[in-house]
Amino acid sequence: MDTKHIRNFCIIAHIDHGKSTLADRMLEVTGSVDKRDMRAQLLDSMDLERERGITIKASAVTVYHVYKGTKYELNLIDTPGHVDFNYEVQKALQACEGALLLVDASQGVEAQTVANAYLAVEADLTVLPVINKVDLPHAQPEVVCEEIENSIGIDSSDASRVSAKSGLGVPELLDRIVEKIPAPTGLPDAPLRCLIFDAVYNEYRGIIVYMRVVDGTIKEREQIHMLGTDKVYEAVELGRFTPEMKRAGVLGPGDVGYFISNIKQLGDVRIGDTMTLYKGPKVKMLPGYRPPMHMVYADFFPTNSGDFESLREGLATLSLSDSSFSFEAVTSEALGFGFRCGFLGLLHMEIVQERLEREHDLDMIQTAPTVTYKIKLKDGTLSEIHSPGQLPNPDQYEEILEPYARVSIMVPAEFIGNVMQIAADHRGTYVRQEHLSPTRVQLLYDIPLAELIYDFFDKLKSSTRGYGTLNYDISEFKPSELVKLRILVNGNEIDALTSIVHKEQAEFRGRSAIKKMRKEIARHLFEIAIQAAVGARIIARETISALRKDVTAKCYGGDITRKRKLLEKQKAGKRRMRQIGNVDIPQKAFLAVLGGDDED
Amino acid sequence: MSATQKPRAAPEAPPTAPRERAPTGTPLYVHLPFCAAKCHYCDFFSVPDKGQDRAANLNAIQREAELYAPRNPRTVFIGGGTPSLLSIAELTEFLDNLERITSFRSSAVEVTAECNPESLDRDKARALLDLGVTRLSIGFQSLHDEVLQLFGRVHSVEQSFAAFESARSAGVTDLNIDLIYAIPGQTPEAWEQDLGRVLALGAEHLSAYNLTFEEETVFHRWLSQGRLAKSPEEVELAHFEVTRRLTQAAGLEAYEISNFARTNRHCRHNVNYWHNGTYLGIGPSAVSKVGATRGGNLKAILPYNRRIEASGDARTWEETPSATERLFETWWLGLRLAEGISASEARERADFSASEDPALAITAGLVADGLIEETDARFRLTARGLPLADYVARRFLAAAP
Ligand SMILES: Nc1nc2c(ncn2[C@@H]2O[C@H](COP(=O)(O)OP(=O)(O)OP(=O)(O)O)[C@@H](O)[C@H]2O)c(=O)[nH]1
Ligand code: SF4
Ligand SMILES: [Mg+2]
Repeated sequence: MDTKHIRNFCIIAHIDHGKSTLADRMLEVTGSVDKRDMRAQLLDSMDLERERGITIKASAVTVYHVYKGTKYELNLIDTPGHVDFNYEVQKALQACEGALLLVDASQGVEAQTVANAYLAVEADLTVLPVINKVDLPHAQPEVVCEEIENSIGIDSSDASRVSAKSGLGVPELLDRIVEKIPAPTGLPDAPLRCLIFDAVYNEYRGIIVYMRVVDGTIKEREQIHMLGTDKVYEAVELGRFTPEMKRAGVLGPGDVGYFISNIKQLGDVRIGDTMTLYKGPKVKMLPGYRPPMHMVYADFFPTNSGDFESLREGLATLSLSDSSFSFEAVTSEALGFGFRCGFLGLLHMEIVQERLEREHDLDMIQTAPTVTYKIKLKDGTLSEIHSPGQLPNPDQYEEILEPYARVSIMVPAEFIGNVMQIAADHRGTYVRQEHLSPTRVQLLYDIPLAELIYDFFDKLKSSTRGYGTLNYDISEFKPSELVKLRILVNGNEIDALTSIVHKEQAEFRGRSAIKKMRKEIARHLFEIAIQAAVGARIIARETISALRKDVTAKCYGGDITRKRKLLEKQKAGKRRMRQIGNVDIPQKAFLAVLGGDDED
Repeated sequence: MSATQKPRAAPEAPPTAPRERAPTGTPLYVHLPFCAAKCHYCDFFSVPDKGQDRAANLNAIQREAELYAPRNPRTVFIGGGTPSLLSIAELTEFLDNLERITSFRSSAVEVTAECNPESLDRDKARALLDLGVTRLSIGFQSLHDEVLQLFGRVHSVEQSFAAFESARSAGVTDLNIDLIYAIPGQTPEAWEQDLGRVLALGAEHLSAYNLTFEEETVFHRWLSQGRLAKSPEEVELAHFEVTRRLTQAAGLEAYEISNFARTNRHCRHNVNYWHNGTYLGIGPSAVSKVGATRGGNLKAILPYNRRIEASGDARTWEETPSATERLFETWWLGLRLAEGISASEARERADFSASEDPALAITAGLVADGLIEETDARFRLTARGLPLADYVARRFLAAAP
């Protein structure tokens, strides 16, 4: 198809504003999916996405729309809304000329609305504001348009108004996409350049590469050079997502599709790489993607230490379809061999962990997430650590610097006081505030990233009745008075439970951590002492008394089955557990140094 | 992972397969579900007697007996509920019918009936003996009227002692007394006094239970509402130890965790449960074990009656544990008994034939932890292991496939 008749765009928004539902309607209106095959959020194909009702991975699909008698190819990419999957949005943006900025007419502009809109503007995309959910009784399209103009500065006077649920306004929106979003500019006979924006591993077909043709034309049976990894593969099959994979044989400029070459070597495909014709004219590499910035780190250890190699394999396979986490081998005194992984955020960490457990049938212990610290050593050099255990003794360094985040919080004005309180509790400093509309404000704070992951987000949600949303970016590293908080179980230090905390909070957080551990660790035949220490000083202690009585008084004929089931249920929790010394420590106890439900 | 338990059928639906009469000699349990009032701690299937059609239910139970009750049962246990609540006429008709069906009067070495003080007098005790009952179990539960009230019981302490005397004077030579300890507020000293008074009565058997807060009881609700507090573990343990010390001094053998008896007066019917033996239960909620299969009846009077009438089968569930599950179950049940259990006995009772015995590794670990000990190839709970019998059971279950 002539590039004139191609439009590439993505749908971006805050979480839950209806991106995937709008994609559903577009598939339906254009007749791409049979009515009987239709289901809600069709593009969310991962089990985890369907269970949680959120999009985790961006997915591309090609639909055809007839405008003024001409057939257009629309390549749309549905993106996730959650802040942790921002990297997916950035990748999608590079494959498009335009973006639909979807805003829920009842919720208004939220933190990721702004963040994603800026990303699209930065990437030079044409941004079309779309007000969604106009069917809701609380819809306030005018107010929302005002908020868009005030927060992002995009003219919204003629923003599309749709209901992704009912389909109202969707055909008109398709027309508008054709009218307003520029066609791709690549030429069909220019030297070939394709951008790899995603990949998945398929047991039978090898790696399936998701790519966009930027310049030139790619045909099956051609020898293709991956410039970054310097590998050559034949184009065995080329096609589009409609949403099933549909063989096309040839893809031209502006096309978004897949490339199959029975690639089994995971390292040969790199997201962001450029593909060109082998032995064709020399081309310049596409800018690709900037490497993801890892906000939090956590260690994964196999529950069964023999599973270390399977864990490595699982991580390698998963990193192909999610290029945004990192992993490197580590050892822990307490837990043996494992991997330190870097993530974009807490949800990202949770998703990676769950995908490993499900897709690779691995059983793991995960340590509490931590941030990167910079240590200024006595000789003036700076070193980075990704794990509290790596922090040297105080006499070996000058100071510790911790990452601060510039946090933008959007809330209804009535909650300003609550937000100020929790920001203060989390060592936040106020920057400024802006009114988006008479009832909604944006508050800016500088908050240590460690405080954000400790429990800031949970606290924000609970103190704003769920209305508060936030977005953050790392702003700078600043020196702080930080100390190492160590946890000992029966005198054995558990390195996997060490954390770095602010001096003033050490005692409180130490207490809260060992209290939580006390709740998680079952009683044993002997007494268990759990201690929190800063340096050599024990600052708190909890004792789990020895189990001395555990017996049912009555056990007759009618009781045996019920009794056995009860006992079985009590042992069912045994799965994710590691023995340290002779104490069985369940997964949850390893997360005790994280905040959450501590006050009671 | 666990035994295959399948709901046999929806409560009102007919059974899936016809059942057969239990083999001759199988111990027989009869559940008579009526009580004067529902006790606040009780999680047995029992219902207050008011306005109930006892005759219809007794008929249904008789019908169930006709279909499945074994001939010549070795032991019979008539429990509930409160069997003594029935009139002498009702008891006569019911037990004469049972005799006609099973001939238990000549076959059974032990026939127990559970009684409550408010419904046991000399005449009834005499009648029970005449009807073939050999052993009575009387629910004292507490020696304090205010505790009995808290329990929701309808008799006084005085009535308990009177019932005991009536049974004795009627000629009952095999008597059990039920007591509960570690009641909120009770001290081990107070328990020691009460227990001393009961032991002075010279009953052949004593069942002394640590109070438990079972789900779906009034006590459980009160516990979660904070109206009652569970005794601390040390206090419970102290009660447990007082019980063992005093019963021993009184010449009763602590033959099971909560059961104490004079020589040869242990309850044979119950010992069969701890041997993981087979038994047939009839009446609402009654559980049976025939072969390797356990199954239980509906826990509701009218649906039970209807199902028995319609199809003769009132079961709501059945399960057949695997060989290994049976073996482990046999171990933890057997360890509740002072006589202990040997590995070969366990295999035999569980009908376990695989060449490798998976229990051995577990018993070795338990011996190492000082929870069980081995003498002459028999394993028994140690003094430390006794109050940890459930923990010991979990060690077996954790190893089950
Ligand atoms: N009433 C109404 N509900 C809608 C509309 N569009 C979407 N929803 C509902 O909003 C919820 C979120 O929709 P999704 O399409 O999953 O939102 P999303 O933006 O893809 O969410 P993430 O991918 O997790 O960021 C679902 O319950 C949809 O049914 C609409 O136009 N009207
Ligand atoms: S008398 Fe016995 S069976 Fe009846 S309610 Fe009380 S404890 Fe339960
Ligand atoms: Mg979505």
